[in-house]
Amino acid sequence: MLLIEGLEFAYDVAPAAPMRFELEVADGEVLSLIGPSGSGKSTLLNLVAGFLPARSGRILIDEVAIEGLAVAERPVSIVFQQHNLFPHLDLYTNVALGVEPSLRLDSVQVEAVRDALARLGLEQLQRRKPGELSGGQRQRVALARALVRKRKILLLDEAFAALGPAMRAELIELVKELVREQGMVGLLVSHQPRDALIASARSAFICDGQVAASAATAELLEQTDLPKLRDYLGSM
Amino acid sequence: MSRRFPAFLVLALLAFMVLAPMAGLLNLGSLPGYEMTDLRFWESAYLRRVFFFSVWQALLSALLSVLPAILVARAFALQPDLPLRRALLRLFALPLVVPAVVAVMAVVSVYGSDGWLPLGRSLYGLNGILIAHVFFNLPLAVRLLLPQWQAIPRHHWLLAEQLGMNSWQRWRFLEWPMLREALPGVVLLVFMLCLTSFAVVLTLGGGPRSTTLEVAIYQSLRFDFDPARAVVLALLQLGLCLLVAVVTLKLQRLPEVEIADSATPTPITALHKALDIALILAATVYVGMPLLSVLIDALDGPVLSVLSSATLWRSIANTLLIGLSAALLSVSAGWFLLRYSAGLAYAGHTRGARLVDLAGSIVYVVPPLVIGTGMFVLLSPHVDVFDWVFPIVISINALMGLPFVIRCLGPAMRQNHARYHRLCLSIALLGWHRFRYLEWPLLRRPLGLAIALVTVLAMGDLGVIALFGSPASATLALLIYQQLGAYLIPQAAVTAMLLLLLCLAVYALLERLIGGNSDATY
Repeated sequence: MLLIEGLEFAYDVAPAAPMRFELEVADGEVLSLIGPSGSGKSTLLNLVAGFLPARSGRILIDEVAIEGLAVAERPVSIVFQQHNLFPHLDLYTNVALGVEPSLRLDSVQVEAVRDALARLGLEQLQRRKPGELSGGQRQRVALARALVRKRKILLLDEAFAALGPAMRAELIELVKELVREQGMVGLLVSHQPRDALIASARSAFICDGQVAASAATAELLEQTDLPKLRDYLGSM
Repeated sequence: MSRRFPAFLVLALLAFMVLAPMAGLLNLGSLPGYEMTDLRFWESAYLRRVFFFSVWQALLSALLSVLPAILVARAFALQPDLPLRRALLRLFALPLVVPAVVAVMAVVSVYGSDGWLPLGRSLYGLNGILIAHVFFNLPLAVRLLLPQWQAIPRHHWLLAEQLGMNSWQRWRFLEWPMLREALPGVVLLVFMLCLTSFAVVLTLGGGPRSTTLEVAIYQSLRFDFDPARAVVLALLQLGLCLLVAVVTLKLQRLPEVEIADSATPTPITALHKALDIALILAATVYVGMPLLSVLIDALDGPVLSVLSSATLWRSIANTLLIGLSAALLSVSAGWFLLRYSAGLAYAGHTRGARLVDLAGSIVYVVPPLVIGTGMFVLLSPHVDVFDWVFPIVISINALMGLPFVIRCLGPAMRQNHARYHRLCLSIALLGWHRFRYLEWPLLRRPLGLAIALVTVLAMGDLGVIALFGSPASATLALLIYQQLGAYLIPQAAVTAMLLLLLCLAVYALLERLIGGNSDATY
């Protein structure tokens, strides 16, 4: 379980009030974060991953605090919208880097990398370079790497935003399956309310650096008493 | 038509400047003394020695410049918050505009046997040539390589951090693959610059053991009056440069990824940081000390007596005349070429556009001294070449500046054309108005940079002017060389400082005046 308590952060340049997050996500759940640009969705992911230092507050994973850990030590994997793969390395190597950056893998680890690629339907493409793949295939490789890393938290920072609707839906289903199977905790930032509907039983609306509301996704999207949420969604 | 005509004119002029002297060179048999000299390459120990020394010193210079530059550039890239980082990088831009003969004096003053920091027993010979070439090319290589780090996508740094990569693994998976793309080009550029470097070898080498083709050409023409040998040497040099140019073109590869905005600093151990800072400091001292010594040596010298000599002021006038005329000519020619090639690129004729740009860089293949030799051979039977010194020197310096014009101005012009050409057509923004409202405001910064750079390079050039110059037409660079030759070292030191200050002042003034008040870097 991921528990975020009073997690505060302020950008040096922004005179605005500091951001402050409270959130709870259960094992096997993919929680969608929706909200306008600059509201703090990506900041929240960066805080969990450790790319940004929190000013105060706690990040607990299965009741263990991780906010003091270095980035590499946190049980977290992240998938960005682009540049997830190193362009000069083949798919196998890109995934293997997730296990061991020295690339010295034992036979069990090699097997795990092969399995992960097979699981995502990429076993035929192991020796290809990312440049030869479609956008959807590239994101599958990034997911395969997350899979072999066996980290508790999976962060998806607009990971599927550049893909078409059908491909997005397909990959989101895949993420749900993986998260459920591995008992991971997923956080999905997306600009498409439809993605949230497919991905998450429950979603959170982030606004002005806070979790302004969280509820069952369908209900959240229908909610009328939050003007900022209505502004963000527009007429649907 | 309005676009094509001036460009064709420039291309025709370029062809003439390169081909006419070539015709002179190939008319070898008619030259006096041809039968007397033994010029068959494999039989002449002299030619062989000169040839191999040229290649050897260029190779060593390139390696000694680029390998340390990789480390220094990496240190700069990984320390984005270093205090004075921008100032240090500006210092690294300086050697490009320091005239070679000034740099040689400075290097001797600091690293010579009586210097502050003696490196080796004598700087006259290979040792000194290498030290001077590294002084010029290490900072250049740092500045050329540094953008490769900026081209690494931000997300890659973040991923590397999350995957727990150490410094070596980051180097292996992120930095080296990016660097590899640029490295052959940078090594070959430095190799070519050192192969055609003239003033450095002229002043620090020149003995029988350490003469390059370029200097041997000069010696054949000016001292031995042996045009036939000069022609053979020039043809050898030409062949060598052609070879390097072909290899460069073959090796040029496009990066495998799109360019991202900026690099992200990654957490770095204290030891690593200390090493980086030590590296940067060492490079800064190596580049900075000679520059400092120019000022210090000159202030010790007979400043007033040098300043009161009429020769000095005539040389200053000659220097400015040559510098400004060459820049004007070079930038106009470059403008027309680029305007044409931008149109071609926009219309999808990328090959044609590339060819036009390459034509502007012809001087990399046909070195200025080869052109000068050709002109000498071609003109000397008919006219007194020393009367023609200004047109010849100005046009050859303009030719030498053209690659810089194309580098500074090309990307901006192409981008401008791609973005606004259709808009301009639709609102009929043409001719002068297009220049006034669109091109001038958007292009004045690279334009100012190009003009400033070419002016200063021509002002400090000691190459063609050494071939054709007489005391009456001497520039400051030639005056320094003459003073050194007459062992007037203190006077030469003062003149060197004046030339350096003049170059810096002209550079700053032109860049400000034309480029506008902006502190943006290039």
